[in-house]
Amino acid sequence: MARHPLAGYLVWAALFAALFAWEGLSLARVDSLPTLSDAFRVIMRYPVGRWALFALWLWAGWHFFVRGWHFLLRA
Amino acid sequence: MLAGYLVIMATLGFGLRRLRRPETGDRHERGPAAGQPAGPRAAAGSRRGWLLLARQVAGTAVGGYLLLMAVVIAYYYGVARVGGDFIKSAVTGTAMLIGIALPPWGAASWLTERRRQRDSDTAGERKARSP
Repeated sequence: MARHPLAGYLVWAALFAALFAWEGLSLARVDSLPTLSDAFRVIMRYPVGRWALFALWLWAGWHFFVRGWHFLLRA
Repeated sequence: MLAGYLVIMATLGFGLRRLRRPETGDRHERGPAAGQPAGPRAAAGSRRGWLLLARQVAGTAVGGYLLLMAVVIAYYYGVARVGGDFIKSAVTGTAMLIGIALPPWGAASWLTERRRQRDSDTAGERKARSP
């Protein structure tokens, strides 16, 4: 496995922490911030937004569960 | 990994708890045939609702698939020539995911809606029988 600088992992951790902090604040209705669901609902009003979200979901599934795997663990 | 899992589950649990409160009922999603009147017109409306839903899902799946393929091809030829049958894997792997995910989703939606309609019919009959 390739080794990367620690700062790179910290940036990812900070991004995810910010995402969850934002979601937590909006669920607690601080200053009526929109939740992720609210944001997705706005995006999904439009066909192009639905395509983009579906493409994102498809990419995540392909990237994490399909890519690099072989049928019946064929070598 | 465990910490990430716990954070996600805690956030989801907190969100669900907030959504279940009555004052936030406006945030709930409703089914395709929710709130429809009972009777033959309701059946026709329900059929039309299913057709519209199927059309929207098919459109979303095809549109999303084509969009992802466009991005993958643009990435491959414009940014990095990734090895390991990248394009072939993207085309077949994502199609397989759609094939795996959509049928159970359709079946679950149909069963949920059928159960909701049955509950609604039972409640209506009970109301009609009561003096």
